Amino acid sequence: MTGWHEAVAMAREIATVAVCILASIFAIAGVIGTIRFPDAYTRLHASALSGTTAVFSAFIASIIAAANAGVAMRIVVIMVFFLVSNPTTTHIIARYAWQSGLDPWKRLERKPRRKHGGGRR
Amino acid sequence: MDTRRRWRLVRVAQTFGVLLGLWFLFSWSLEPTSVVGGLLFAGILATISYDVFIEEHEAARHSVLPRVVPAATFLLTLIASMYASSFSVLVAVCTGDVQPRVVHFRSKLRADLARVVLAESITFTPGTIALELDEDQLIVHWLTATTRHSARAGDEVKGSLERAIKRAWL
Repeated sequence: MTGWHEAVAMAREIATVAVCILASIFAIAGVIGTIRFPDAYTRLHASALSGTTAVFSAFIASIIAAANAGVAMRIVVIMVFFLVSNPTTTHIIARYAWQSGLDPWKRLERKPRRKHGGGRR
Repeated sequence: MDTRRRWRLVRVAQTFGVLLGLWFLFSWSLEPTSVVGGLLFAGILATISYDVFIEEHEAARHSVLPRVVPAATFLLTLIASMYASSFSVLVAVCTGDVQPRVVHFRSKLRADLARVVLAESITFTPGTIALELDEDQLIVHWLTATTRHSARAGDEVKGSLERAIKRAWL
């Protein structure tokens, strides 16, 4: 019985560490994207990686590592509030940029080359 | 009792139920003081704020409170699509290959709350941000756009989420 409990505890620890590593990867990528991307809108997408996915993964890790069901339920309630508040913040920033006339960055599309001797005569 | 008064009572009861449920989840205790405190404050808050949570014109029950099982399915769909699009944004960050585009499309959802949930879900998934929501019209900034066609863009951005929300609300 003790062996079974130890195995479950170890599995929980491994799962917690794995999800924390995933959260760290998304957080670092979010920061890199925020520096690398060309305009405010694309940077908001990058910051969503660290602001949404990384935080959500950290919450999941906390649930796995929670000492009892009561603590886990509190984290679930916090996750519900996070689900509501986080996109609202992003939406407010993006909407303000959109309504103040900030044009989104566009990748320049190459025009197809004309073949020699083609075109209108 | 006239219909308007009955609808007001239903709204107070629904707000009370949600607040009390949240209180029990958050406190995780059935001690008498906790239960009495929860009942008392949920009652006071429900009486004050029912009109903010559920507006009078939202006359259909399922336009406010979602069906339980489809709502749980929607949450799982949202989490799955959040991770799927996070990985595609992660690839875009690593390669620097982005194709941002602003796309316009309509939503088939009728309830106000369901439309707001859809816009929030679109913003919650990395790679798409809802810029504007006007009635059923949505304007979305899409990081890795694959099409300019309005209907196809709508289907790719909101397809599975909208279907899941439609099952939960109206």
